[in-house]
Amino acid sequence: MAFAASTRPAAGPVQQDRSGQNPAATLSASGLSLGYGDRAIVEGLDVELPAGKVTIIVGANACGKSTLLRGLARLLKPGSGVVHLKGEDIHKVPTRTLARQLGILPQTPTAPDGISVADLVGRGRSPHQGWFRQWTPADDDAVAAALNVTGTAELAGRSIDELSGGQRQRVWIAMALAQETDVLLLDEPTTYLDLAHQVEVLDVVSELNARRGITVAIVLHDLNLAARYADHLIAMKAGSIVAQGVPSEVLTAGLVQEVFGLESVVVADPVVGTPLVVPIGRRAALLADAAAQRLSEVEVVGAVEGVRE
Amino acid sequence: MSLMEKDTLPAAAGSPAGPGAAAGRPALPKVDGAWLRQARKAPHRRRAWITGGMSVLVFGLLAVNVLLGSFTVTIPDFLAMLGGENIPGASFIVMENKLPQALLGLLAGASFGMAGTVFQTMLRNPLASPDIIGISYGASAAAVTAVVLFGIRGAGVSVAAIVGALLVALLISLLARGRGGTGLILVGIGAAAFMQAVVTFLMSRADISNAQELMVWLTGSLNSANWERVAVLAVALLVLVPLVAVGGRELRGLSLGDDTAAGLGFNVPRARLLLIVLGVLLAAFPTAAAGPIAFVAFLSGPIAKRLNGGAASLPLSGLVGAAIVLAAHFVAVNAVPGTSLPVGVVTGALGAPFLLWLLISSNRANQGG
Repeated sequence: MAFAASTRPAAGPVQQDRSGQNPAATLSASGLSLGYGDRAIVEGLDVELPAGKVTIIVGANACGKSTLLRGLARLLKPGSGVVHLKGEDIHKVPTRTLARQLGILPQTPTAPDGISVADLVGRGRSPHQGWFRQWTPADDDAVAAALNVTGTAELAGRSIDELSGGQRQRVWIAMALAQETDVLLLDEPTTYLDLAHQVEVLDVVSELNARRGITVAIVLHDLNLAARYADHLIAMKAGSIVAQGVPSEVLTAGLVQEVFGLESVVVADPVVGTPLVVPIGRRAALLADAAAQRLSEVEVVGAVEGVRE
Repeated sequence: MSLMEKDTLPAAAGSPAGPGAAAGRPALPKVDGAWLRQARKAPHRRRAWITGGMSVLVFGLLAVNVLLGSFTVTIPDFLAMLGGENIPGASFIVMENKLPQALLGLLAGASFGMAGTVFQTMLRNPLASPDIIGISYGASAAAVTAVVLFGIRGAGVSVAAIVGALLVALLISLLARGRGGTGLILVGIGAAAFMQAVVTFLMSRADISNAQELMVWLTGSLNSANWERVAVLAVALLVLVPLVAVGGRELRGLSLGDDTAAGLGFNVPRARLLLIVLGVLLAAFPTAAAGPIAFVAFLSGPIAKRLNGGAASLPLSGLVGAAIVLAAHFVAVNAVPGTSLPVGVVTGALGAPFLLWLLISSNRANQGG
């Protein structure tokens, strides 16, 4: 490939060879500005996804996290700045070549009518096909593996219209997996899912990351799940990165206050010890007041007071 | 690198499992590539049967149109005429009227059917067919303008129709820029109404001798079919159909939505441009030859989808379109003794209730329009 020999910019990605599995699959952006029309959402942002790790991006609604993910996936052309995948500007690589290395599952994708699960997952093989290279047994194997790993094998022959939201979301992830890319970007993959399915989807992704060492970036709303599943957490506010790093170091009550404007306490998750954000909210104060009036439930008052400190 | 190397899930080992977290998980069924290869054959076989069945139906309707009706011909006579024999009284009616009309109907129907499906699938909306979003009317308006204002006749009218369709498509695309698929449809509906007004206005200014020729641009008709029109449309389709086969791949990509398609490596703007040009030409050529036969582009796609188990199919849409036009033409020619109605009257009259039935029955099946 001709572009492979192009000069590596000095500001290229810093290799973080911590995984030891796939050090080259780094996606990074420098000086990235993104927006829709005249409206700038993200301005002059530098970011790098650690190779072989799961990065989770959190932030309040409309903070630009989905926009950033779209920019990293070349779905949005930057106003300025560049995005590098393995040292190459993603807007200078042919889109199909790029799609063999970088997969994106957009927010709430929509399926064509009447398409079967196996057929939809098979669409993930598109970048591996061309005018002369048609469907091969290797494609079947990749689709089968994607169905198995997402637990959607038993749905293979069903029409996508018949599935529940959770099943459908797993099928979409299977499609992204069938693409067999080294970098996988997921935009709110747990939207509309109940808690059990949210955990299931994230389990699938983290198992895949553990097994194949792929680099993953996920935009997620749930802070506690983010803390649980992220190797690297990025918190965004108003189009900029406020904090990033290992969740146990980054996720503090102060950060939650800054990013979401929410008063909270952060305790250790009783299952694995990652940070667990417990919002305080106004109802706690109401309950405390009511309890104080009745002078009966001293423990509640004590607990809330303790929490406030 | 395949995901298949290890099928044991390492996850359960790492987590200090809560109650039943790992142990309670039932073994999920697995599939392999060979099973998938096998599973893919069933829908393919089904589609092959349906396509074969529709081809037989279309051929049957073609034969009915040529052989039966107010003037019937026997098959041996027809074959003799095809062989060049002149049967007084019959030869002219069959060879200069019935056969070109039926062939033009077949080609126009197939072309409209594919045009509709290209737009409906690309914009993911059944309303997005070229006869709704003004492209067919653009062709009509340009043709009528050419005849009434510039006195153009013959092949020049067809050229005007095709140029008109392309111009309207360009205009709609520009006006609907950045408004998404629904915006394009709404702008198109506005454009269609405007074009219809232009046609009606020009018709009122046309003199009697032109009015006869212009009738075709109001509803669509095969009555003025001749071999020249059949030949032009056949050559156009000979070029366009292979391109449609190429575009089908892009169409399958775009039907996933722009973002997903781009993520899978489709060049979305280029694919969209290719498909729009193809769709416009597929609608414009039959409109130039037979007028905007109402509802054919609109109906073929949804019917083909139902036959195909819910998935869009370009070849099936073409066959359905051909079947609709041929069936409607037979009714149009033979319904009222002594007169040949334009085929568009029948497709329009049958099309509207059929569409309602389609919407109601598909909603009942909970599949949405």
